[in-house]
Amino acid sequence: MKKNWKRDDLIVRSLADSYLPIALILGFYVILHGNISPGGGFQGGVLAASGVLLLYLGYGFRGIATALNMERMHRLEAIGAIAYVLFAMLGIFAGYNFCRNILWNSGEIGDLWSAGTISLMNYAVGFKVLTGVGFLLLLIINLLSTEPGHEHDGTIPTTELEEGGDAE
Amino acid sequence: MKRLIAAISLIIILGCGVYAVAYMQQNVPITYDGSNVDVYELQQNPQDYDTSDPDGVASIIVQENLAKTQAVNNVTAIVFDFRGYDTLGESFVLLIAITGATVILRRKRDRWEGGKK
Repeated sequence: MKKNWKRDDLIVRSLADSYLPIALILGFYVILHGNISPGGGFQGGVLAASGVLLLYLGYGFRGIATALNMERMHRLEAIGAIAYVLFAMLGIFAGYNFCRNILWNSGEIGDLWSAGTISLMNYAVGFKVLTGVGFLLLLIINLLSTEPGHEHDGTIPTTELEEGGDAE
Repeated sequence: MKRLIAAISLIIILGCGVYAVAYMQQNVPITYDGSNVDVYELQQNPQDYDTSDPDGVASIIVQENLAKTQAVNNVTAIVFDFRGYDTLGESFVLLIAITGATVILRRKRDRWEGGKK
């Protein structure tokens, strides 16, 4: 039997197309509603980063290599970390201590914009975890697809390539 | 020379620490040490235990959460407000871990050409 099997593109790609918006919407919902519902930045970021795996399942290595940029994702993760520190330093700018919630009274209880810097830091951490875990998944996928010749036709090897012997 | 500078800096830091300890001993703030909590009674009869006015900083966080932060989700309020330093450290641990993975796997990334147009 052949060791390299052709991916059934229609079913897997249709399911990936169907579930990718659901995963992204769920992830961003959990990030956005971190201060008024269970969840938060970390969980929502990991949920949204699973879209990278769905994209890989549907479109293979080539699709993910043409759609995403690893260097940019790494830079965006650093930007998320810097944004967290800046939101935490708002207290210093206002004359209080570090991590002081200076905007805590700026919204109604239960609204989307409430709790001041808690939501802002929540968004920063969600963005950071989204890009960081996405970058980690891209690294793993790039390490998985180092076998030559399959990145152009969308197939993945079921077993490791043996040296010498041909397929039965 | 370097050792002299290091020794002077350490002496200064130690002096600051000793001064801080002496300053904290002068006016001791009101602390919540949990001395009024009957752990055995709480473990035996958790339904009958009087939790209206328990001692401890956790009860303050739970009871005065809305008044202090206006965040409905209490866990988010603790993670991002009361323990902001902790979350800062966690996120930077994640950043450092991903950077380490990048450094280890840097030779395998030559074929990547995504988004470069």
